[in-house]
Amino acid sequence: MNAIGLYTMIRREVQRTFRVVVQTLIAPVISAALYIFIFGTVIGSKIDSIAGVPYISFVFPGVLMLSIINASFSSASSSLYFMRFTRGLEEILISPFSYLEMIFGFVAGSIARSLMVAFLILITGLFFGAVSLVNPVAFILYVSAIAAIFSMLGLIVALWAESFEQLTVLNTFVITPLTYLGGIFYSITMLPEIAQNITLWNPFFYFADGIRSSMIGVSEADTTFGAFLIVGLVIGLALLVNHLFKIGWKIRS
Amino acid sequence: MLDIPMLEISNLVKKYGKGKDEKVAVDNISLSIPKGSFFGLLGPNGAGKSTTIHCITGIAQPTSGTITIDGTDVVKDYKEARTKVGLSPQEFNVDIFATPEQLMDYMGGYYGVPAKERQLRIDEMVERFDLQEHRHMKFQKLSGGLKRRAMLGRALIHTPDLLILDEPTAGVDVEQRHDLWEYLKEMNERGKTIILTSHYLEEIQYLCKDIAIINHGRIVAQGTKESFMKDGKSVEDAYLAITREDNKKS
Repeated sequence: MNAIGLYTMIRREVQRTFRVVVQTLIAPVISAALYIFIFGTVIGSKIDSIAGVPYISFVFPGVLMLSIINASFSSASSSLYFMRFTRGLEEILISPFSYLEMIFGFVAGSIARSLMVAFLILITGLFFGAVSLVNPVAFILYVSAIAAIFSMLGLIVALWAESFEQLTVLNTFVITPLTYLGGIFYSITMLPEIAQNITLWNPFFYFADGIRSSMIGVSEADTTFGAFLIVGLVIGLALLVNHLFKIGWKIRS
Repeated sequence: MLDIPMLEISNLVKKYGKGKDEKVAVDNISLSIPKGSFFGLLGPNGAGKSTTIHCITGIAQPTSGTITIDGTDVVKDYKEARTKVGLSPQEFNVDIFATPEQLMDYMGGYYGVPAKERQLRIDEMVERFDLQEHRHMKFQKLSGGLKRRAMLGRALIHTPDLLILDEPTAGVDVEQRHDLWEYLKEMNERGKTIILTSHYLEEIQYLCKDIAIINHGRIVAQGTKESFMKDGKSVEDAYLAITREDNKKS
């Protein structure tokens, strides 16, 4: 394994994160703080407890997940697309990396940024009294796995996109709707039965539920199924992205 | 030592596009470059030089044929093959917001050079290519010649066995160019195999021992520098005669 090479790829992505710190770290924290303030404090103060916990505690893990998804997706997609655009990707292609190592380097860099964002949002949440962490190990695993899923989706979009505008397509038409319909701001028990059944087909419901269970110990989904789904998506996407890198789709002439 | 090929290309074909849009960029090229050679690859723009280099380094995928570097297949054992090559490409394929020092640092890291050794190599390259004042400047702010020197530093950071230089002195001033020539000669004398493409044919004549001319994707002439310079001709005279003759046939 090219350990020094992989460490360099991750270090480079972390340096890129700090190069544009306003967009990469400060903006997500401001967004999360607004979400927590409006949904948690302003609206939450008018709502009784939900699933046995204060509304702010219920909603906070979902807000955090939203930020992780955005951070990992934009990190991987912008990094790879920019490298395609400037042909800087050739540096990676001519270096002694296996295709899986290349993907691991991009994904690990995105996970690193997502963990930084998660940490900063946890600190922000402390000011609102919204943070509890019943299972820190599970929390880190969930954050890392969800970040891995969305960074690989980011890589696929970065390979497909022919313009910077196209990088936002998946986010606008898939990620955002499914996230908002995934039980972040409400308990699915509040929904009519048919909507509950539809929600059970939404993978984002299991993502939010996993993070919530690790933070506040409350779960509305089958966590075992959720864990298998997340691991399955990580493996499935890794195989797909590895195949795309191997055939050189849009990256090698 | 000179009989062992550092680079062996057999029946390389590279096509772009499909159907009516298909274009043959490299048309059944075979080439054997011994270890320790200083090899000049010449040809007009669009002849297939850069495409051949891209196939060697992994930037492009060969349509058919095989390429081995020091006996290692660049497709089947691509990871090992990559460790043996350093490339200074014609195009500036870099993160334009990175500095020359960062570019060398990242590339050295990708090639697995440990941090301490990497820093020593970076310092050596910065001094060698006179980049002291510019080592922390963003690449996009550098002049053409400085950019080219930063690219050379990046290509050499991991001390590759095979060095491929695609137009390495384009935009470099005369003094720096001559300085670079001496450095390349010195490296070649220490055993490095170097492949050089350049439109400055006096550069080829001064540096290279062996030459191949590629035109319309095919090798149209190949031999020692002396064989091109027989009858008192310069490499440039021979090059023009050969390519004009080939263009008439095509």
